[in-house]
Amino acid sequence: MPAVSVAHLAKSYGHTQAVRDVTFEVARGEVFALLGPNGAGKTTTIEILEGFRDRSGGQVQTLGVDPADRRTQRWLRTRIGVVLQELAVEPYFTVRQVLTRNAGYYPAPRPVEQVIDLIGLREKADERVKKLSGGQQRRLDVGLGIIGNPDLLFLDEPTTGLDPSGRRQTWDLIRQLAGSGTTVMLTTHYMDEVEALADRVAVLAKAEIVAAGTPTSIGGRDAGAVTIRFVVPPGVAVADVPVAVTSVDDGIALIATEDELRVLHTLTGWALEQDHVLVGLSVSRVSLEDTYLALTREAE
Amino acid sequence: MTTVPTAGSYRGLGDVKLIGRQVRYEQLSFWLNPVGAIFTIGFSTVFLVMLGSLDGNAKVSFLDNIRMVQYYVPGFAAYGIMSSCYNLLALNLVNRREMGLLKRLRLSPVPTWILMASIFLSSIIIAALQVVLMMLVGRVAFNVHGPANVLPFVLAVIVGMLCFTALAVGISTLVPNADSAGPAVNIVFFILVAFSGLYFAIPPHSVLATVTGYFPVRHLILSLETTFNRTPGVTAWPWHDMGVMAIWAVAGIVLALRRWQWAPRRG
Repeated sequence: MPAVSVAHLAKSYGHTQAVRDVTFEVARGEVFALLGPNGAGKTTTIEILEGFRDRSGGQVQTLGVDPADRRTQRWLRTRIGVVLQELAVEPYFTVRQVLTRNAGYYPAPRPVEQVIDLIGLREKADERVKKLSGGQQRRLDVGLGIIGNPDLLFLDEPTTGLDPSGRRQTWDLIRQLAGSGTTVMLTTHYMDEVEALADRVAVLAKAEIVAAGTPTSIGGRDAGAVTIRFVVPPGVAVADVPVAVTSVDDGIALIATEDELRVLHTLTGWALEQDHVLVGLSVSRVSLEDTYLALTREAE
Repeated sequence: MTTVPTAGSYRGLGDVKLIGRQVRYEQLSFWLNPVGAIFTIGFSTVFLVMLGSLDGNAKVSFLDNIRMVQYYVPGFAAYGIMSSCYNLLALNLVNRREMGLLKRLRLSPVPTWILMASIFLSSIIIAALQVVLMMLVGRVAFNVHGPANVLPFVLAVIVGMLCFTALAVGISTLVPNADSAGPAVNIVFFILVAFSGLYFAIPPHSVLATVTGYFPVRHLILSLETTFNRTPGVTAWPWHDMGVMAIWAVAGIVLALRRWQWAPRRG
């Protein structure tokens, strides 16, 4: 049984369709990223899965139950953890107080001291929340999301506002949780975060899912053209390069090709023969960000 | 390994324990902000002492010649109820909603009724504390005896608490964001309090009495004042005042039920 199962989900607010015919599944133990521009319907979808918002149509199962079913909603909330987009922590409590309070909401919470260590706030455990930096507050927010020892964790842009080391720390924590069997459903605007964490990804645009797959294959990323880049050697005209150069930008030649093996062979053979150094030679597939932008642009 | 639950399969703290625990944290949250706590509690005490010392022994001819301070004590007890159950609560609800705290609580396994009851109970505790404090100050500093009619007094306090709690929840739904919460909640409140006779007794049948008589502030002040009045022949049960407050309570509840939301409005 998947952790999350969504079939033909629809949600409208008056005449505005926020989500339309959305279908996907999240396997247990998986890190699943939901991407999309602001207003695409990510938060609405997640809120429906959490049981916070009712749907207009379709079928949804979260941990095997309908999140809109009032009879099982309380149980479901003991098994899910939520980290919201907002920094939702009371300013006057200490880190330990707020974690202890929230731990009491759950039948089998994680030990508070363990969570303090996991979120890296040991030295700030008795500090008031209002005295923490934005990044530390965000980490506490994540701590509140995992205090109930959830089977399924919803993370709505969990690293927004964090400095690079805070982001890496949060990534490590997410990996650790996923490694111990927690299913993670993530929304983010950072493509490096998706590549670092997600097993699978879906892109929402204009209220619909426009692509789904692994971060390396989504939108045909694993097939199609690659880009070869190098600095044009001094004294060499672009016309002398033995393969077709697609463009030259600030002295860097770009070659877009689907036959990268043959092109590279020709190019490096020519460079060796002519004793040219191909400074900055690199071969890259289209980036996840480029794929994402193309997918969301198509949907506009 | 998670098992699919059946209805009612939640196992956790009992609801009564949860509510007690939640109220304790609500109280802690209030007292951990000393400036807010001192301002809320101290305002009525300072004003009662100040006004009572200035003209506390003057007689109010149109209120059975009671001493002015005997009017002030129930008046500031009423203010304590309003400041906690309306002002503090409304600001609290808007700020929590806009910070996402209400949404986070809603997504916890704690039932909605426990969350809301805990927040309301906490305001009511602070209000009750202020009522007791005003009566103590009145007794010790000005020799004002407690209510002549205890049961009507208790009922009027309860109706006042319910009325202003309902109005706080209702008004919080009209405030679009945290920035406008202070002005929106405070301005109307302090104007009404000032003109409803908190700082001076208003002659009945005056224009001011007629106008402010449409609003619940004056009725809470008058209902408590009535229960303090020891003049023979004065009615013990302020039914009319409590009735007006009950109507306002219903209006607050209707507004809250129609417009309440857990998520930030960001308006």
